[in-house]
Amino acid sequence: MLLCTGLAACSGGSGKPTLNWYVNPDGVDTLKALASSCSTADYDIEIQLLPSGATDQRTQLARRLAAKDSSTDLMSLDPVFVAEFANAKWLERLPDDAASKATDDDVLAGAAETVTWDDGVYAFPQWANTQVLWYRKSLAAAGGLDMTQPVTWDQIIDAAADNGGTVGVQANKYEAYVVLINALIQGAGGDIISDNEAGKDAKIDIDSDAGRDAAAVIQKLASSKAAQPDLTTSNEGTSLGQMFGGAGEFMTNWTFVYKNYEGLVDSGDITADEFADLGWARYPATVEGEESKPPIGGIDIGVGAFSKHTDFALEAAACVTSSEAQVDLAVNEGLMPSRTSAYETPELAEAYPPDLLQLFSESVDSGGPRPKSSYYATISAAVQSVWHSPTSVDPDKTPEESAKFLRDVLDGKALL
Amino acid sequence: MTAVTAPPRSEGAAKPELSDRARAETRLGQRLVAPAIVLMLVVTAFPMIRALYLSLFSYSLTAPEDREFVGLSNYLTALTDSLFWRDTFVTVLYMLVTVSVELVIGFVFAMVMHRVVFARGVIRTSILIPYGIITVVSGFAWQFAFSFQNGFVNDWLPFLDTDFNWFGDTTPAVIAIMVSEIWKTTPFMSLLLLAGLAQVSEDMIEAAKVDGATWWQRLWKVILPNMRAAIMVAVLFRALDAYRIFDNIFVMTSGAVNTESISFLTYRQTIEQFQLGIGSALSVLLFLSVLVIAWLIVKLFKVDLAAARQEG
Amino acid sequence: MRQKIGTVIGCALILAWCLLPVAWIISLSFKSQTAITNGSPGFLPASGDSAGWQNYQDVLDNDQFRRAIINSVGISLIATALSVIIATLAAYAIARLEFQGKKFVLTTALAIAMFPVVSLVGPLFDMWRTFGLYDTWPGLIIPYMSFTLPLAIWTLSAFFREIPWEMEQAAQVDGATSWQAFRKVIVPLAAPGVFTAAILTFFFAWNDFVFGISLTSTERARPIPAALSFFVGSDPFNRPASLLAAGAVVSTIPIIVIVLIFQRKIVAGLTSGAVKG
Repeated sequence: MLLCTGLAACSGGSGKPTLNWYVNPDGVDTLKALASSCSTADYDIEIQLLPSGATDQRTQLARRLAAKDSSTDLMSLDPVFVAEFANAKWLERLPDDAASKATDDDVLAGAAETVTWDDGVYAFPQWANTQVLWYRKSLAAAGGLDMTQPVTWDQIIDAAADNGGTVGVQANKYEAYVVLINALIQGAGGDIISDNEAGKDAKIDIDSDAGRDAAAVIQKLASSKAAQPDLTTSNEGTSLGQMFGGAGEFMTNWTFVYKNYEGLVDSGDITADEFADLGWARYPATVEGEESKPPIGGIDIGVGAFSKHTDFALEAAACVTSSEAQVDLAVNEGLMPSRTSAYETPELAEAYPPDLLQLFSESVDSGGPRPKSSYYATISAAVQSVWHSPTSVDPDKTPEESAKFLRDVLDGKALL
Repeated sequence: MTAVTAPPRSEGAAKPELSDRARAETRLGQRLVAPAIVLMLVVTAFPMIRALYLSLFSYSLTAPEDREFVGLSNYLTALTDSLFWRDTFVTVLYMLVTVSVELVIGFVFAMVMHRVVFARGVIRTSILIPYGIITVVSGFAWQFAFSFQNGFVNDWLPFLDTDFNWFGDTTPAVIAIMVSEIWKTTPFMSLLLLAGLAQVSEDMIEAAKVDGATWWQRLWKVILPNMRAAIMVAVLFRALDAYRIFDNIFVMTSGAVNTESISFLTYRQTIEQFQLGIGSALSVLLFLSVLVIAWLIVKLFKVDLAAARQEG
Repeated sequence: MRQKIGTVIGCALILAWCLLPVAWIISLSFKSQTAITNGSPGFLPASGDSAGWQNYQDVLDNDQFRRAIINSVGISLIATALSVIIATLAAYAIARLEFQGKKFVLTTALAIAMFPVVSLVGPLFDMWRTFGLYDTWPGLIIPYMSFTLPLAIWTLSAFFREIPWEMEQAAQVDGATSWQAFRKVIVPLAAPGVFTAAILTFFFAWNDFVFGISLTSTERARPIPAALSFFVGSDPFNRPASLLAAGAVVSTIPIIVIVLIFQRKIVAGLTSGAVKG
């Protein structure tokens, strides 16, 4: 008990139980408000912060759960890890009534899909993320691009390179690089793996025309003038600053970007004119004529299998994922709802331009999720390992090499 | 430095009347060291034995019920894996480069500290700062120093573009990691060498001077041979430490662009991937390689281990 | 004359080597967070980019960092105290007594000093979660003790060998009780050694990173180095360089204070512990 000084989490014993909610550090202020508004006479919800990278978040949670930790009551999960956690029996399977509520008709299909595994529902979708193409209107105009029509990666790379602009992506050796690779492959009609339920024995499809098309885009960007100097270490934050410096950029990035720049107008870091020059369009197409598959992300709320207060935790999880909660997250933090009803509220209509709202929900609806597999973490790490650094990607070698490596890793024949 | 003399003790060939006392002394001695021994073994020997055992299984924490005995195949996988050898190569590179550079700079620093009469306290105090600073902090300081967005290194190096990305490619990233490692650990090296330098008798140097030896000759013929033991102990300690390099890599690149060391690989397998089977095999291999390096240094350079172990 | 100039240049070099990076991290800690996001190269904050004490305020207002300071201070002090006590017993035996197994102790200590820490964290993690020590203070204190014992034992036994133990007997002959003799004669002689060992042990525990990230998962036991490496600012996508720098400076203050006060003891301890001849 030496350790409990100052930690309400340890209050235990009699009194009101405290539910620990492990959250990723996205929109923490609103999450804190949610935690207190969803606390009841029966329990208090307390926020515990996870590290910022998806991989680190998984590691921290998995270590606790592998230790059968009873104080992990609620957790914010990147959708790609739901399958692995459910498969390891670390997540409480939702009882039927909760399950049907978590995935009712109001929930966007793309988001509802992320919480199911093996015929069960294991989490509540909280918010849905997607990437769109953010760009400087003046740069697109200089490049002669008609942004009302779908654009391809080739087009934006050329337009940026010819006009002193850049193209911002996420290509550090981390999860969001797999988001990019997956979107490029799916945009060309392919997949990293298929037959995912087979676990280790899933079919590996990355060595395909689609894989080569995706590699060609990365190769083109990496060797183009439009590549940002920190391409190989770029993340969601590194390219934000390039939008209004110099000629500007094209940037594929998540929904938070709008609120981020809006905040910079308020703080005086960019002018209203500059902000008015910010444009958005659907995620670029990998190959001309084929519709792009925008990446899907977001957060699902799971209940720990070893929690001492499962009932309370289920109730709390439903509360923090309610439509009202989702509106708060969208309006305050730029994290978009997973429920249709939330998109239709006046608060959202006031906070976002209507065409942007429509672009977001359309992107979630027609987006391409990353492979749903209980071995996702392994698959992701294996892809990162071969496709990083982007400057070494070669359509003739990289897809083939990564397919072979993925097979070896899944068979336990290669180190990852 | 302080000369070690064995405690004054009559080792007079086991006189019978002393044997009772000797036995009592042994008992007391063993009792006094017992807590230390137990603690050291609980945290090292016991887990190491467990690692040996686990290394024979295919065992992932995310699928504990699939655990199965696989014999030595984890070792086979590791030893035939190109990643393992690439990381071993990178680790050896870190070790060789950092230890050599530190030896040279550390020796220069030791010479200066040995000579200096004024401001001795200031110099010694400041040299302890890198020694005491947290390695993670050193990693951050250098990572940001090399960053082209917020650092100063690109500014100060005239031959570099201002937007040169040090962490975008293997060679510059490895250099950046080495700089942080060298900065942080050179003081340790130089203090060990300073201790060795203090043992070189001034008379011998004077004598060489009188004989007309140049400064360079005095260094190579008199000073260095006489501080051999100190140099070797310093090299041994730092080499083993450098072979375990982890913190700087974690902070500065997370192992991206092929900067990963063998410790980092082991960490990722066990702690991040939860592959306790193959991870344990790597742990055992890491342990063995440290033993091999220790043995090599001791044999090649004939390090006087008794000196390091203070057997006086 | 030439030598003197060389020494002066050498001193300047040493000072630059040791202090420049420290000056850099301090300078960085005064850059404002917006300047960092937009990119602000250069050693000193550009005009208008200075944040004043804001970063320090933010870091100290951050619950996670405050917890980490408490954890680090608590864990390091407890580990240091226990480790030094146990090492004192062992070092006394090694320096003063002739007994079977002495070689074994010294060899074990040497082996452990060389042990690759990373190869232990996997099995230790597995053991700790079985014993319920995972993510607790004792879960870190125990390994810290084990890994600082070798250094503490070396340093202390080197010091103890220097103590003229005959003086104890002499004092007893002069009429002091053995307790008085121990307290008045031996303790003052041994204290500096114990102190030095304690400082070096504290440095080790304070610096540890591998155990800190592997055997903890929340702010319940996470020490400063691990907390720094997981530190998230208001913008989860950008490493908050200047905030981290402020945190780094805060975490370095205790080290600098110790170094300023105990410089002599540390140098003596480091050199006697490792090199004999």
